[in-house]
Amino acid sequence: MNRIISRFRTSLALKVIVSTVLLSLGVIYVAGSALNSQLSTGIRKVNLESSLTEARSTIFSAQYRFVLAQGEKEAAVRKVIDDVISSATSLTADANAREVIFKKSEGNSREINYEITSNSVDPKSIPIELSRSVRKSDGNMWSYISLKYLDAHEIPGLAIGQKVLIPNAGQYEMYIVFSLADQNATLDLIARYLLLTGLFLIFLIGLITWMVLRQVVKPVREAAQIASRFTSGDFSERMLRHSQDEIATLAMAFNDMAESLEKQFARLENLSRVQQRFVSDVSHELRTPLTTLRMASEVINSANASFDPILARSSELMVAQLDRFERLLEDLLEISRFDAEAAVLEVSEFDLIGLVQRCVDDLALVATQNSTELRIYTIASEVSIKADIRRVERILRNLFTNAIDYADEKPITITIVASDDDVAVGVRDSGTGLDESSLTRVFDRFWRADLSRARTRGGTGLGLSIALEDARLHNGELEAWGRPEKGAHFVLTLPRKESESINSRLIKLQPDDFHE
Amino acid sequence: MTLVMVVDDDQDLSEMLGIVLTGAGIDVDLVSRGDEVMDVFRNNPPDLVLLDVMLPGMDGIEVCKLIRAESMVPIIMLSARGDAYDVVRGLEAGADDYMVKPFKHPSELIARIRTRLRRTNTDISGLLTICDLAIDVQAHQVLRAGKQIALTRLEFDLLVALAKEPGRVFSRDALLREVWGYRHSTDTRLVNVHVQRLRAKIEHDAERPEIVVTVRGVGYKAGVMGGS
Repeated sequence: MNRIISRFRTSLALKVIVSTVLLSLGVIYVAGSALNSQLSTGIRKVNLESSLTEARSTIFSAQYRFVLAQGEKEAAVRKVIDDVISSATSLTADANAREVIFKKSEGNSREINYEITSNSVDPKSIPIELSRSVRKSDGNMWSYISLKYLDAHEIPGLAIGQKVLIPNAGQYEMYIVFSLADQNATLDLIARYLLLTGLFLIFLIGLITWMVLRQVVKPVREAAQIASRFTSGDFSERMLRHSQDEIATLAMAFNDMAESLEKQFARLENLSRVQQRFVSDVSHELRTPLTTLRMASEVINSANASFDPILARSSELMVAQLDRFERLLEDLLEISRFDAEAAVLEVSEFDLIGLVQRCVDDLALVATQNSTELRIYTIASEVSIKADIRRVERILRNLFTNAIDYADEKPITITIVASDDDVAVGVRDSGTGLDESSLTRVFDRFWRADLSRARTRGGTGLGLSIALEDARLHNGELEAWGRPEKGAHFVLTLPRKESESINSRLIKLQPDDFHE
Repeated sequence: MTLVMVVDDDQDLSEMLGIVLTGAGIDVDLVSRGDEVMDVFRNNPPDLVLLDVMLPGMDGIEVCKLIRAESMVPIIMLSARGDAYDVVRGLEAGADDYMVKPFKHPSELIARIRTRLRRTNTDISGLLTICDLAIDVQAHQVLRAGKQIALTRLEFDLLVALAKEPGRVFSRDALLREVWGYRHSTDTRLVNVHVQRLRAKIEHDAERPEIVVTVRGVGYKAGVMGGS
């Protein structure tokens, strides 16, 4: 049932067909009933008139015969009555039966009794009301009755009666009863035919509606199918135009839209290709001279000891700034690769805890120089993960160096928590921290936590932006929490399998050691 | 004296490389066009080739294939792009190692060159066997049923590293340390590509390797003798 309802809701064709059929059912019912009652009234009327004419002449001829038999003996009168009956009656009690009833009028006290009925009709068939009105009237009276036979079977009938005077016997009522079985059968037949015609019409209407609808719905369905193909990135499909009507206009508009979309996408794709190409070219063009520069600076700097102090310091600065320039170039190239969506994952399986340990070992010296230390907390001894190790390492290094930079000589806590599907790394420092407005901007490019702070750290200002992009590329998430002077907490959550998405946050962003 | 052929179209960089290498006691042959490499190479065979990817005349990848076709000399590709595509193409064409410009330090380049040139495993004498292969470490030969299989020096080192400790499973990092001399590198592509190339030369069926066996999630190990 639910399926039918939902089908009804979703199918325009079904909806239209059902409502059309229901409406035409109503119309056909009303029209059919009117026609049926008109027809039956007409038929009854014609039938009644012919019956009345026939009855009148029969009764008149009976009256005439009775007048002629005035003064005759009882046997002769009875013969006249028999003659009247046999000439007016049908032989059998079939559908066309015509019966005659002679009934002694009420108040006729003569002894002699000529009451008689043809074909063993029950005289009680005549209702009292009819009998009364016949007695009161001089003309003939009629009524629809139920014609009963003595053998107890009944048929619908029309009784027409009039007073007659039978010689020496006083006033009688003579009734001619016509069987209506035939007429009713005809009426039934007509009603049945009307019903059948109506049903057939409704079926035809349903069929026609369906066929017409198909013409309208088919192109709409086609459009929907093509549109869904657009969604999946295939813009090659077009709607077919069969005619010049509104559907064709729809098809034309649809095709125009598809064409425009295809062009736009092609343009964007081309832009992206141009961008990638540009990035690649810039990369090549800048890297070669930078290589020469670096080697030259190293050669110069290696002779540092023999320089006078100003020259020596200058050569040191040159080497350091070339380092910085190179880092900046790499970060910029990486960012433009993300922007051009040209960044790809090179997935391999590795142990995340091992990687964290190695990064911490590498940065131990830097941490010591900043009077802080990196402490790892985890219960697992190994967490294997399928990810791009180069990018994950870059995220970790960014988070760790960032924490070292802002640690304010307090130790840094690194927490690793893993579930079957995800793994999270939390990096918590208790240093400078971040305020509300900084939190929203901490991943912005070239944004720095403290503008008054000198740029001594040598970071590029792109580290956290790249870390966030790297995390997102893995379908992971990188989030930041912080309070001024209460430190910061960065949480990286990654799915342990390639191209899955994370389904839980294993480390709370607000650290447990913090209370508002 | 060691001779290194430097193929790069950037005159200044070539000159700088020449200065640095000469300073380290290495002779240098400078070539600036890809299509000139083979002539110079045949006239004066170098001990090692430093090869840029983007070259006029002929692509560095093509040059690499041509050199490999006639020599097992160590080749280090220089790439200014650092894209995965360039690197893998270079390695597949037969390069032993690659360096992405700009190099972190000139001494890094020299260290790489020396690693590729050093005589490894001089402590091992006699024959190593791995499955149906006999390895003569001193003579630098790999024999199957008396027939020699030509391997580059790097492929040979990789095979020896695995063969001298038959039961041990080597992680890719361990192989990078042992064979390439990297203190720590995370670029496992280097290992993967060279294992593929080595397998193509020594395995009966490279699709179902029996000599260099993959240990899923860990790395590689030498196949057990007679284990096929």
